[in-house]
Amino acid sequence: MVSVDSLYDKIKRWTVEFVGGRGYSNQMTGYMTGELQTAVFTLILASLFRIFSIPLAIVLLIAVVAAILYFAPMIVHIERESSNDLNRVLFWVVIYFAIIIAVTLWGR
Amino acid sequence: MIEVTIQLLSFFAAAALVIIGITGMLFLDNLIKKIIAFILLSDGVNLMLVAVGYVEGGIVSILLPGMSPSEFASKAILVFPVGIVLTNIVISVSTTAVLVALVIMLYRRYGTLKSSKVLKEERR
Amino acid sequence: MIESISNLWSIPLLVMIPIFATIIVNLLFNRNKAIKYISLISALSLVVITLLSPYGFQWFTGQPALNPNTLTFTFDASIPAWRMALEFYFGPLQQALIFVMALILVLVIGIATNGLTKNQGPYIGMIFLLFASAAIIVMVNDLYHLWIGVEIGSLVVAGVVAASGEGISQKAALKYTFFSALSGAGLAIALALILGLTGYSNISDAIRYIQTTNLNGMSSILYVAFGFFTLSWIYAGGLVPIHPLKSEVYGAAFPHGTAMLQTQSKLMLVAIGLVMLRLFGSLPFAREVMLSISVLTMMLGVVMALLQTDLRWILAYLIVSHSGLVTVGISLGTYDALVGGLFQAVNDVLYMSVLLLGCEAVYYLGNGTSTKTAAGIAKKAPWLALAVVLGTFAASGIPPFNGFQSEIILIQSALKVGLPEVAVVILILSVTTFIALFRAIYSIFLRPADTTHLVVSGLIPSEAQEVGKETPIPRGLYLSLAILVVITLILGVYPDLVIRFLTPVAQAVSIPWYP
Repeated sequence: MVSVDSLYDKIKRWTVEFVGGRGYSNQMTGYMTGELQTAVFTLILASLFRIFSIPLAIVLLIAVVAAILYFAPMIVHIERESSNDLNRVLFWVVIYFAIIIAVTLWGR
Repeated sequence: MIEVTIQLLSFFAAAALVIIGITGMLFLDNLIKKIIAFILLSDGVNLMLVAVGYVEGGIVSILLPGMSPSEFASKAILVFPVGIVLTNIVISVSTTAVLVALVIMLYRRYGTLKSSKVLKEERR
Repeated sequence: MIESISNLWSIPLLVMIPIFATIIVNLLFNRNKAIKYISLISALSLVVITLLSPYGFQWFTGQPALNPNTLTFTFDASIPAWRMALEFYFGPLQQALIFVMALILVLVIGIATNGLTKNQGPYIGMIFLLFASAAIIVMVNDLYHLWIGVEIGSLVVAGVVAASGEGISQKAALKYTFFSALSGAGLAIALALILGLTGYSNISDAIRYIQTTNLNGMSSILYVAFGFFTLSWIYAGGLVPIHPLKSEVYGAAFPHGTAMLQTQSKLMLVAIGLVMLRLFGSLPFAREVMLSISVLTMMLGVVMALLQTDLRWILAYLIVSHSGLVTVGISLGTYDALVGGLFQAVNDVLYMSVLLLGCEAVYYLGNGTSTKTAAGIAKKAPWLALAVVLGTFAASGIPPFNGFQSEIILIQSALKVGLPEVAVVILILSVTTFIALFRAIYSIFLRPADTTHLVVSGLIPSEAQEVGKETPIPRGLYLSLAILVVITLILGVYPDLVIRFLTPVAQAVSIPWYP
């Protein structure tokens, strides 16, 4: 009988390719859990937009699901953006500061 | 029409110093140059604080004999910002000292002052 | 008008005793026994002063009051006709926070004086200055002293981190000091803006001015000041996007130093957060901005903790993540949320100290704290394993420990304001904290030891720096762990022991949440 991969097998093989090494290493479980957490958290953030408008929230949720499937694994990007390089951190600080000033000035 | 006063020009100069300081801290590679950029930033903040307390045609805030309190209150510059500036000078000297000490320690360890080499990302 | 002003005796002592202790232990350079006794006596005196002190004010300088016989906003005390500008206040909240910090100070000093063999004087001095800076920030009611406290704290953090002597520690200290220079300048700009706008540096006076005066288009200045204050708040607590630098600071310092660092950090977070809530809470989108930073911090911190393979770094990221939990309560700003956030700060300091001291103890066993190299520690030190497991339960919000009580209040307050998503994020944080910690606990404590060559991190104590050399865990460390675990249990069963100190501030400062 021909062996057919289930969806679980496909996702597992796909994720293992990025981290490398054995499938069930200590680090691997951390990355997979982190990926799941990031996905769930992004969905929750998208659903918060229901405060502004429910159709907007639904559209955002669908967009976020598509983005998660396209950009996966996101955990690698999260780890990269959380780099402790001083210049990268200061870059994000400037972005944050600009957003905070823009939001509070726009909101008044 | 905005009147161009010394106070307004001082605020612009302070803003320029702060922007130059922040840009230097972000984009310069040499650690000593980053420290110098921080000093510029601190000086910009000091200039801004002094400009906050500026009064046109003002006098030093010391109540001299023969001076009426109302004349003093209307003419004297605000003294509290000057006090803050003095404190800021002390704080920036201490911060500069700590930064230079750390740079010396790192130079002894890594043999270079390039932040791209010394402060590069630690991958664990 | 002649007014009698009485200043409280304990407020200057809470700041001066640590400063004098710093000077003395520095002068006693390398006389380790003298340093140990003097520093322990000073730390214990701070605990006693905090417990025995009544509530009151300490004032410097003056200006005519806006209205005679007016009440302050925060502390419900009547003030004399001459309004003092620079003001410290010691009330129930300050008593609770400073008592917890003094307790951690005693334990940390006991451990540091036991473990370190050289340069004890300067290191212990810096630990005392951490206490002094946090005490200033918690007690202050004017922007000038707030800024001074933040600046002192930032310099001392660099010293405590760099003291461990490793390259990574010195780099972490340098990066953090660069950012603290930026945030300190930002806070000075915010101080200048508020001083220029209102004419007051006293926070209560500035709030009264903002609320009663038509700012006539000058309100943009207030928003810029809010932006700079947020920068300083982010720096103080290690919130997103500073979390990589702050967690590097926590991870690179000695674990007992990290216990004191995270205590100072939480207290700064609470104090600056309350000031922001009082000054800017009524600005549109201000609390939403604070809330979004908090929620992002919670999730990014815990996700990064999952990716780590060293217990120190897992704890470092979890401390950052739980800072977000504290700030969720402060950002929501309602009565329940404030009580929950402030209580969470106290609980967080306690259970994180349990875990950090447990991490310190693992070093004594000579295997480092990496999940790849350390193993089988439960067999060598079962009581240590028990303490760390109980600390994990507390951190994960499992009853009957203290973490559960504060997290349930925060979840309920998030549901009450109509934000179930925030409640879900808090629950996810709780569960993920447990996962992250138990992965490390299984690897380090429960997994059988193997015989591969061990990598030693090279940290304290000096006797354990040889490869694989084990030294007995000091009894003082076990005693500290026991005290802290018992306190987490007591607060889990009797949360009112702390909550009654937090309710006056929550009542005075709370703002209803408008969707």
